[in-house]
Amino acid sequence: MSRLFPWFVALIALFAVFVDIPKHQVSFPFNCPGICLKIGGFSYDEEIKTHLGLDLQGGTQLVLRLRTDQLPSKTDTSLADLNTQARRVIDRRINSLGVSEPVIQSLGDDKILLELPGVSDILQAQEIATRQAFLEFKVPDKDKPGQFKSLEPPLTGANLKPTFVTFGGQTSNQPVINFEFGAPDDARWVQLSKDFFRQQVQITLDGRQVSAPQITSEFQTGKGIIEGSFTPQSARDLSLLLNSGALPVPLEVIQSTRVEPTLGRDSVNRSLVAGAIGLLLVAIFMIVYYRLPGVIAVIALFYYTALTYALFRLVPVTLTLAGVAGFILSIGMAVDANVLTFERLKEELRAGKSLRVAVEEGRKRAFPSIFYSNLSTILTAAILFQFGAGTVKGFALTLGIGVAVSFFTAVVVTQMLLHGAIEFTSFRRRRLYGVEERVPDPVRDARAPAAT
Amino acid sequence: MLFKFVEHKQWYFLASGLIIVPGLIFLLLGGLKPGIEFRGGTLLDVRFATAPPVAEVHEIFVKLGHPEATVLVAEGERLQVRTTTLLPDDIAAAQKALQEKYANVKDLQSNSVSASFSAELIQNAVQSIALASILIVLLIAFAFRSFGWSAFRYGIAAIVALIHDAAVVLGLFAILGYFFNIEVDSLFVTAVLTIIGFSVHDTIVVFDRIRENLRLNPGEALNPVINFSIMQTLARSVITSLTVVLTLLALYSFGGFSIRNFALALLVGIVSGTYSSIFNASQVISLWQELEDRLRGRSAARATA
Repeated sequence: MSRLFPWFVALIALFAVFVDIPKHQVSFPFNCPGICLKIGGFSYDEEIKTHLGLDLQGGTQLVLRLRTDQLPSKTDTSLADLNTQARRVIDRRINSLGVSEPVIQSLGDDKILLELPGVSDILQAQEIATRQAFLEFKVPDKDKPGQFKSLEPPLTGANLKPTFVTFGGQTSNQPVINFEFGAPDDARWVQLSKDFFRQQVQITLDGRQVSAPQITSEFQTGKGIIEGSFTPQSARDLSLLLNSGALPVPLEVIQSTRVEPTLGRDSVNRSLVAGAIGLLLVAIFMIVYYRLPGVIAVIALFYYTALTYALFRLVPVTLTLAGVAGFILSIGMAVDANVLTFERLKEELRAGKSLRVAVEEGRKRAFPSIFYSNLSTILTAAILFQFGAGTVKGFALTLGIGVAVSFFTAVVVTQMLLHGAIEFTSFRRRRLYGVEERVPDPVRDARAPAAT
Repeated sequence: MLFKFVEHKQWYFLASGLIIVPGLIFLLLGGLKPGIEFRGGTLLDVRFATAPPVAEVHEIFVKLGHPEATVLVAEGERLQVRTTTLLPDDIAAAQKALQEKYANVKDLQSNSVSASFSAELIQNAVQSIALASILIVLLIAFAFRSFGWSAFRYGIAAIVALIHDAAVVLGLFAILGYFFNIEVDSLFVTAVLTIIGFSVHDTIVVFDRIRENLRLNPGEALNPVINFSIMQTLARSVITSLTVVLTLLALYSFGGFSIRNFALALLVGIVSGTYSSIFNASQVISLWQELEDRLRGRSAARATA
């Protein structure tokens, strides 16, 4: 170990504590009003905060499936592309609503996971996610009077420029939606006004008529307005919907979850209490049982907790209830590597080795066990992460990060502190390590196979 | 004096059997109740200031066109209503109906899963458990590669211990499901996978000691080495298990009802994992060796005859 190494470890600790300090009004786990630090210079004011999952802050979660059975048959877009397009559309819709920290992920090519924190109206969530917003302009059907048919190819809202609402239709001061076709549809729109001059055309949204205006003049540009029985609000909503684009494929809700924010907050508080009590119990036990190494393990444990939590905030890991459980569980598991090392240390001391040799031997011999056993847990976490969705993924991520960090703290931090402690004469008494103060007995030691 | 971990193995296997077999019986009786996620359907969890009568709430759902709804009383003045899969419109309608009738509805949570999606979730759960098991055999085979082909013996012994722990937890929840209608969800699958990971974690520590002691004492018979190795790792196994149990007990007691079953599954699984790593895993290796020796002895006897 280099001389600079302890400083490096201490620096990480300082950084972790800095990250952990709450910097936001409702920062988890401390409700700390007032302190509002930003890191870095003026330009970089990335907010460090704990990301709470839907189950901890309330809201609505939907799993959507792409209805590929309702797709026009001649599409050659792949399912993965449709998925990406659909997610972009939903993302734009959510952005226009100002939902904070939404989650829009694909679950395989045919499904989309949508989490809307703070949206407790399940109907609104469904509207955002499944409204197709497919705008089409239809023309009179010559064969069937009074009915409308699609143009060939259909004239849709696909090439519309951003729409906006103004007041003042032709009749009264009604809200109307102004649109403008981009190329090449603007030419078709102008052509349409020539072909169907003094006739009615129909504007439909998702198959339903919005308005059926009479064409009273030949258009010169791709501009137009949609009139209808809009309120200012509904006109704005429709305008936003059109600007976000149409879903490329109909979506259906195959799972919906609605969580109350009050219950979520309750869960956060409860699991925090549980975590703190768990940490305290483990700390007391370790100190009582292992004495000086126990104290070192507890320091390492707090180091572990601070660093893991800092990583959760930095990565960031969205904490769910299961994730918090994984974190709490990993506190218990983090001790394991220390226990393995200390048990070895005791053994080596009992076998009559000097403290310095015993510490080194304990580290060396405990290492394979620590390495492979941690690997098995990380492996399980990786599988859970791969196959699980939502809550399970959160648990897997926190457990995985927890175990990886515990490997670092046990192998590096504990060892460093232990090596440091034995430099002090007053910390060299064997009793401090839970071993009797006595001279080694060669006869007894010869019997133990491990004593080499 | 050494504790006879290996010599008394039949008793330890018997003890495991006594715990696992009743659970398996209830498992076969269909005790393991799949939750909404694995069965499809809708679960409405409604919290009241004081819960109204079950029949009255059921009546509301009949009027909404869901006579199949079952209403159960749950902890904390809550009612749980299970129906076939409801669309968001139906959920909103049910919420409105409940809030109109009862002014004291504190909150309402819903979870709704379509049947096709639940089939996928089950498939995912099964796949992930199978994949985890395979990877663990390979990991152990790799960790114990210095043993040559018998490395797989250690891998399989670890799998036996792992199945033991999974069976204990599955059995327990089959019994709980049978008598108390406790359902299993994806959190339960997560718990089982975590238990599997922990079980292997524990077993590896013991096996690693056996390997070390075999290397240090070449020519020593297997059984005494196993005994000695378990003895040496006993303190560690118990203490680690104890620290995890302490944190889980905290989670179980203070974590709230939504996490309680999860904590319970982990708690039982981790105790079982510690037991199986001390009393089952190495004993399987010993049993395997004894059977092999007996077969060899017989064929050797036949060869000389």
